[in-house]
Amino acid sequence: MTRYTIRRLISLIPTLLGVTVVVFFFLRLIPGDPAVAMLGEHAAQDNVERIREQLGLNRPVFLDIEALKQGDIRRFFDSQYLRFLGRLLTGNLGDSIHRRIPIANELKLRFPATVELALFSMIIAVLVGIPAGILSAARRNSVWDGLSMLGSLIGVSMPIFWLGLMEIMLFAVFLKWLPIGGRLEATRELQTATHFYLIDSLIRGDTAAFVDALKHLAMPAAALATIPMAIIARMTRSSMLEVLQEDYIRTAHAKGLRERVVLLRHALKNAFLPVITIIGLQTGNLLAGAVITETIFAWPGIGKWVYDAILARDYPVVQGGTLLIAVIFVIVNLLVDLSYAFLDPRIHYE
Amino acid sequence: MADQQQVPEAERSRRPVAPPPRKGVVTDFAVREHRSLWGDAWRRMISSNMARLGMAIVLFFILSTVLAHFFWEYNPKTDSDYSLKLKPPHLKPTAEIPTIHPFGTDKVGRDIFRRVVHGGWNSLRVGVVAVGISLTIGGLLGLLAGFYETMPLGSAGRGIIAGGIGLCLGAILAWIAGQVWQMLLFAGLGIAAAVLDRLWAGKAVRPLLFGGVGLLLGGLPALMVNPYVAAVCGLLGLLTGAVVALPLGGALVSNLIMRLMDIILAFPGILLAIAIVAMLGPGLDKGMIAIGFVGIPVYARLVRSTVLSVVEKEYITAARAVGVGQARLLFRHIVPNSLSPVIVQATMGLANAILWAGALGFLGLGAIPPEPEWGAMLGDSYKYLASGAWWAVLFPGVAIMLSVLGFNLLGDGLRDALDPRLRI
Repeated sequence: MTRYTIRRLISLIPTLLGVTVVVFFFLRLIPGDPAVAMLGEHAAQDNVERIREQLGLNRPVFLDIEALKQGDIRRFFDSQYLRFLGRLLTGNLGDSIHRRIPIANELKLRFPATVELALFSMIIAVLVGIPAGILSAARRNSVWDGLSMLGSLIGVSMPIFWLGLMEIMLFAVFLKWLPIGGRLEATRELQTATHFYLIDSLIRGDTAAFVDALKHLAMPAAALATIPMAIIARMTRSSMLEVLQEDYIRTAHAKGLRERVVLLRHALKNAFLPVITIIGLQTGNLLAGAVITETIFAWPGIGKWVYDAILARDYPVVQGGTLLIAVIFVIVNLLVDLSYAFLDPRIHYE
Repeated sequence: MADQQQVPEAERSRRPVAPPPRKGVVTDFAVREHRSLWGDAWRRMISSNMARLGMAIVLFFILSTVLAHFFWEYNPKTDSDYSLKLKPPHLKPTAEIPTIHPFGTDKVGRDIFRRVVHGGWNSLRVGVVAVGISLTIGGLLGLLAGFYETMPLGSAGRGIIAGGIGLCLGAILAWIAGQVWQMLLFAGLGIAAAVLDRLWAGKAVRPLLFGGVGLLLGGLPALMVNPYVAAVCGLLGLLTGAVVALPLGGALVSNLIMRLMDIILAFPGILLAIAIVAMLGPGLDKGMIAIGFVGIPVYARLVRSTVLSVVEKEYITAARAVGVGQARLLFRHIVPNSLSPVIVQATMGLANAILWAGALGFLGLGAIPPEPEWGAMLGDSYKYLASGAWWAVLFPGVAIMLSVLGFNLLGDGLRDALDPRLRI
């Protein structure tokens, strides 16, 4: 098990290196000069040159061949990519070109926002999706089954940006129950320790701030939860149906066990593995790509940040953000794989 | 001829776990012999209400958009009338608004109904082209990976692989030394290593021998530039030589392809699509390429795993035993038997691609403005939501949702029909 884990971790290295190469390659292909984007269209040429020099944009992207031909081995390795990798090894993600602040600092603020939104959505999705799946499996071909399966199909088919807009229209514009966006009222001050506003407000004992944070979280979380909820419900249903055909379920019924015990203890436990997989993968997805939800609800998370940075040619932010997202994604996948061995003793990794 | 061979094979594998017959379907085993696999699947599909609903929705959207595109003229560039700005839906002409607008009008007074109907053409086109791109490239990669992972390679195949690796690694070296012809030298080295695969096979001398030749091939020409370049190129040459000397098989191809797919999958799809559109510039066709590219790994993985499971089957062993060639094995036996999951995935992929196209359009990266497209219409109008213009946002969104739902329902129905084992 330990050896398997270590081997998997080592095999992540080439994948992640590949990710950095692809990020570098793609970014350099996007037309537009970050120095010009920073200074504006009409900046003086020598200013642009100076900035380019400062940002290291005048260095070659991967390797400096001219320097090698002149016999300068140190400059040969002094490229944009290798500089980035070198900084990365010391834990330095660089500074944002536009806002001139270290990316690591910005990440500390934005990552908790994304995690809070993703986990809250996932909790909603699990709390609704799993019972819906169990119910439709237990009452197969009933009205409930039809309704929840149609509901989950609609959920999978939902453009979440549109759902978000409809929520805003209904709850923020017409009913005025919930705020339109952001994480907290602009006037409210909350001293943050963890940057998870729900936890912070509880630590401070600030109930009003807690309710406020919850109100801000409600709409984006509901929008983001739709697709995972639908997928979890479908997966739970099909996995349960498969297990319910097993002999031991018939035996349990024959013993005269109550329906609830058979369903929850005998069937659900054995049907859970694929559901866990889906929950893990969907959590990875939510952490990685809530770009659109974050944009609509002005949620200051990572997805919106990287999206803005792509359009603004803010190379370091895109590199740092994408790399972080990719790392999270592959680690979540690894954890899902490893969790099988804990959940199902029959599975062994060599 | 080929069909007659495959149908019973596929049937046999399905029969033991065939589901209980559903209401209204009479399973008459006496006439079963005369049915084709596809005919059976069709019958199973139209017996399901959900699948029929999906088919109806999909047909409705295809018909309405195609008819509108060819028979209902619309010029988005001249379509604007500021006097009719943001009018709510109304079905009766009045003195104030002489024309009817069942879905209302948008911020420049365009009829939303008309734009929704015409926008379907763009949205469906994006779906079809994007899925086409992912399916063609991803499917081919998956087919190669799955097939060669289990099949022994002929010497020609080994030569191509080793030569290709030599060419690629040699290209780096040639780029550094600035001498393009070195690439060809290394391709030659790779082919030589493949042809001489018996030479000290499995012994430590082999990588040393080929590595030494690589060192000379890389280092000597680079000496003409200067010793530093020669050192770097020599090292690379040594490495390349040692790599092509390894016993390269199909598993390596499969591994390379799948690792590449892993890298693409490690990116969140929407960010990758945004980056590609940012690179290529905005526009519907660029959006199609971006969405198609992001979908490649999905099909590659699906096809690979399907092929791997088909290759295990007895009829493939039988075909190989009677000496069927690799190309025939692949296209006559493996491809037709791997089709059904791909068809299902492609149908659901259409739904997904329409959603993605909507998302890109919403972010302003899809269709270029006056062009009608559902996502872009939403992105155009959502700023007017606060002033109460719900109709401008509601109808394009409903169009996206319904069309996506249609393809999803159809995909579900197809899956149940084509692969009864999965129907639970």
